[in-house]
Amino acid sequence: MTATVTTPAARGGRVLTKKSVVPWLFLAPGLLLALVFKFWPMAKGVWLSFFDVRPFLGDKWTGLDNYTRVLTDHRFQDAIGHTLVLGIGQSLGAILLGFVLALLLEGQARSLKIVRTAVFLPAVTATAVVGELWRLMYYPTSDGLLNSGLHFLGLGPVQFLDNPGIALWSTMAMGIWIWAPYNMVIIMAGLAGVDRSLYEAAAMDGVSLWQRLRYVTLPAIRPALGIVLTLAAIRGLRVFTEVYVLTGGGPAGSTEVWMTRAYTLGFTRNDIGGASAASVVLLCVTLLLTVTVNHFRKRGDVR
Amino acid sequence: MGDRRRSRRLAAGLVATGLAFGTAACGAGSDSAGGDPNTLEVWTRSNPDPAATYERVFAAFTKKTGIRIDYQPVINFDQQLQSRASTKDLPDVMINDTALMGSYQSQGLLKVVDPDSIAGHGQITAQSWSSTVGIDGRHYGIPYSRQAQTLMIRKDWLAKLGLKAPTTWQEMLSVAKAFATRDPDGDGKADTYGMVVPGSAQNGYAAWWGASFLWQGGAKIVEPDGKGTYRAAMDSAAAVDTVTWMKDNLFCGDNAVTQPGALTAVTSTATNFQDGNAGMYLTGPYNIATFDQTLGKDKYEVVPAPAGPAGGDVLADGENIYFGARTGKTKQEQALAAFLVSPEGQKLAMTGENQPVVRIPVNSTLDAATVRDDPRWSVVQKAYEDASQQFPNAPDFAPIKQDTADSLNAIFTYCGSDVRSQLGELNETLDGDLKDQDLLK
Repeated sequence: MTATVTTPAARGGRVLTKKSVVPWLFLAPGLLLALVFKFWPMAKGVWLSFFDVRPFLGDKWTGLDNYTRVLTDHRFQDAIGHTLVLGIGQSLGAILLGFVLALLLEGQARSLKIVRTAVFLPAVTATAVVGELWRLMYYPTSDGLLNSGLHFLGLGPVQFLDNPGIALWSTMAMGIWIWAPYNMVIIMAGLAGVDRSLYEAAAMDGVSLWQRLRYVTLPAIRPALGIVLTLAAIRGLRVFTEVYVLTGGGPAGSTEVWMTRAYTLGFTRNDIGGASAASVVLLCVTLLLTVTVNHFRKRGDVR
Repeated sequence: MGDRRRSRRLAAGLVATGLAFGTAACGAGSDSAGGDPNTLEVWTRSNPDPAATYERVFAAFTKKTGIRIDYQPVINFDQQLQSRASTKDLPDVMINDTALMGSYQSQGLLKVVDPDSIAGHGQITAQSWSSTVGIDGRHYGIPYSRQAQTLMIRKDWLAKLGLKAPTTWQEMLSVAKAFATRDPDGDGKADTYGMVVPGSAQNGYAAWWGASFLWQGGAKIVEPDGKGTYRAAMDSAAAVDTVTWMKDNLFCGDNAVTQPGALTAVTSTATNFQDGNAGMYLTGPYNIATFDQTLGKDKYEVVPAPAGPAGGDVLADGENIYFGARTGKTKQEQALAAFLVSPEGQKLAMTGENQPVVRIPVNSTLDAATVRDDPRWSVVQKAYEDASQQFPNAPDFAPIKQDTADSLNAIFTYCGSDVRSQLGELNETLDGDLKDQDLLK
């Protein structure tokens, strides 16, 4: 730990001065907490992924066994497919809806503030609670909220969660509902920074609504969209609670995602090594994805 | 120079404080009972209601022996246990499902138990004791509570429709259809269902609920060969017939035989029976206390499960007392176990306002129906004693149960599926699970 404190001096080859120490002192508590609660468990997780984990009998080194087992398991492969569909669909849907909401609700009027607060509520509600709420809304008879609406229109009850062909899309709809307001806030912050004179100039030139969006608004909120996209990509891959509370991965594994599979592996089948390996693979993919998104974003910015 | 030294010292001090804080935070909770030899840390997998029963039992124990109990009701038991295992500091005593013994033992989490070391061990029958023998022939737990599944059925609905409680699968099916279509609650709406099924694969529920049907159809999940090894048996003709019958009649036949959403339901979300819109529920007797409160004692009765082609056997399970490995308080642990299985300890856990934590007593001097003055419990006790089978206790059954549940849930979901080939696949997976444990014949 002292190494961290002295790093700047060592790197710069400078003498340790009061000036260089003080910032690190202030950082130390946070760094320590991060070390103990974040980096150490993470390192331990990576370490465990190479073992057959049996705390009381002694861990057995198995090399890359856990990784080959996880990556060749057809249920994991299915789960990866579902994760991608869910992650991409949920991210794009939430960004699109967030963007529309942001355009609609941008402004200073008092009524808008109230509506904005109401719209933002899903993002601050615990996902487990939201899951229960949607379970009730998706209730598969005409007593359910959504099905009573469909019943009114003369459409039969839809098995939102029990039909393996629909369950993943139902989960996605809930995900979009949860995350759209979150994206809305970030995009709105971006919108606030758009130079008003550009809109005025565009209006003088007599552009259409679509042209105004395409050539003025979108380029201006590009950085905000970049952030939203990065966050959404990470979140999309890590999706767990939404699925766990809504369907538990069922029916017939049709909504099983990466993390629910890893959870089952670790805590139902007591295969901590395999679960760690799955999590490490997810970490690598997430890192890769974040770096890629950032790369394209930066390239775009330079251009 | 002095300045720099001082700031270094300050830095070192801060770091040390931070580290101390960090370690303290890690250790908190796990060591609260570790130091004091006269305090036992006890875990049970309980919701707040049954936890209240446990608290009464432990209070009586402390009063009697002076040994204090640091009691932790844990809902996500196995997840918490895994994280405690990784710190190599287990609770002293755990009370949890019988079917988990093989799993815990294979991970080295349990102490060996010598039945003779538990005072009053003779009041537990040899048959009960045999259910805590591990793969190596030694005991790894002490029987605490037993139960068997029975059918809870709406008495008032039966009377209204002029029906009798079913005794065979066919009768059960026609009663279920009548409950679903003949408006037993008389509100003029088609809003009632035949039976409740917790059919999700989550936590292996589909296998837990489906096991009784498998036994009744003459099927087994795995079969011992008498030499300490096993083989998967889900590709047998009996298994194919049973699963096909369940798929065709309960899940893919007439609507409303089972409650809507059955295939994603776990026991906590399958509340249709207590909500009063489903007429039957094949489940454990721990629900009796709940149903008495929510539905009313006069509305339903407890009857033996309807028999299938091979008989009326149901799934039996229960809880064992386990001692955590390397905890070093053996004497106190044995004293607690002796109290828990004594007539006094068992009676306390069977009665009271809250959910009972001992369902059928393992202490053979007690009778469930007499202690509770409730004849419905004799139905449960009779089912347990005469017509029940447990999951095999020696192997690590967790992966086997989970794989079976995954497969059953998939078969019931896809009505067009080929049961024989799906069960064939399951059988290979189960053989793989057994092979992983070096238990395959």
